[in-house]
Amino acid sequence: MNLCARCILPDTFPGIKLDDEGICNHCRGFKGIEVLQAHKKEYEGKFLDLVERFRGKGAYDCLVAFSGGKDSTYTLQVLRERYNLRVLALTIDNGFISERAFRNMCSVTDNLGVDHMIFKPRFDLMKQIFRKAAEEDIYSKKTLERASTICTSCIGIVKSVTLKTALEKNIMLIGYGWSPGQAPVQSAVIRTNPALIKATQAAIQGPLSKAGGDEVNSYFLTDAHFADADRFPYNVHPLAFLDYNEENIIKEIGRYGWQMPDDTDSNSTNCLLNAFANEVHIKRFQFHPYVWEIANMVREGVMNRDDGYKKIYGAQSPELLKVAQERLGLGS
Amino acid sequence: MEQAALKTQIRQYILDNFLFGGSDADLADNDSFLDKGIIDSTGVLELVAFVEENFDMKVQDEDLIPENLDSVDNLAAFIESRNGRI
Repeated sequence: MNLCARCILPDTFPGIKLDDEGICNHCRGFKGIEVLQAHKKEYEGKFLDLVERFRGKGAYDCLVAFSGGKDSTYTLQVLRERYNLRVLALTIDNGFISERAFRNMCSVTDNLGVDHMIFKPRFDLMKQIFRKAAEEDIYSKKTLERASTICTSCIGIVKSVTLKTALEKNIMLIGYGWSPGQAPVQSAVIRTNPALIKATQAAIQGPLSKAGGDEVNSYFLTDAHFADADRFPYNVHPLAFLDYNEENIIKEIGRYGWQMPDDTDSNSTNCLLNAFANEVHIKRFQFHPYVWEIANMVREGVMNRDDGYKKIYGAQSPELLKVAQERLGLGS
Repeated sequence: MEQAALKTQIRQYILDNFLFGGSDADLADNDSFLDKGIIDSTGVLELVAFVEENFDMKVQDEDLIPENLDSVDNLAAFIESRNGRI
């Protein structure tokens, strides 16, 4: 396996082309840090306008999808303190959140002074979905580029329940802790569109209901939710337009009691299923499901190549796989 | 840019980034990206980035509708309407 000499994407990654210097087409197409910085400024400005528009209009200014991991924790903190928003933190418990991550959530929400809701879908249903996702690829090829099938299943439910909650509580801003590598800065502040949501919802809801049965439909939007387009909120992921440094983030959220879990893999700070999900993906496709995100961060200069390399190609503990396999009722 | 060239550029982007090097036979100009499962909600965001970076235009929030984004034909018409004939 050859890696891009700049960003660590492997030659097994879909659509990649390495040139004579071993540099990939994504690196060659990158517009540069200065263009990126200009975008960052632009999108923070857009967000500040929205903050002024919606602050103080309802019970909460912003709903934050809060996994307990470092990025969503830092997002929660930034939205609460830097932008002075009244925040509701929402956690979707997929049945695999680490004990340390739960303790982190309590410490952080207590110390930040934010309300916190936890929604836990039935574990038998989640287990059925995850087992199916481990066996076969039930979404489009493109989804595999940025996440495992297991993760896509989980995040599909997270995003839908989060949007439903924002609509039902009339909250006009939803904060996500996507890292700079997970979504382009051009999507950092974007209004959800009912027609588009309706169309894209089908791509997740269909496979999930095949995997888990009709019960999953309760996690998705109904016609009643789509009735009033003006209530559809804006999604914001501020880590795309703020300076991102993993070490600084961990130090910063440490002030609110957050501690690094010791029972998760190198690409998660909250989920006990992640290592198994990655392993399934690597065996099937010969590339790591996090490599796109990490390569983007290396390319954009927010992570150095060595650290990126260790996250993706460093050895992982086999114990991490066993925990998930046992909970899913799968042989190791 | 003539419309034919515009559609070719869009099609190539979709083939390279969503269908991973598939051929022209895999994608008709009026194929719905969403119905065919070619793009999902995150893919829409990447499409927005592609349009903004390559055609020197801003995609506003109200532009994020299937009529503008959901096929090679729709996307070409949307880009042209913003830029005039490029």
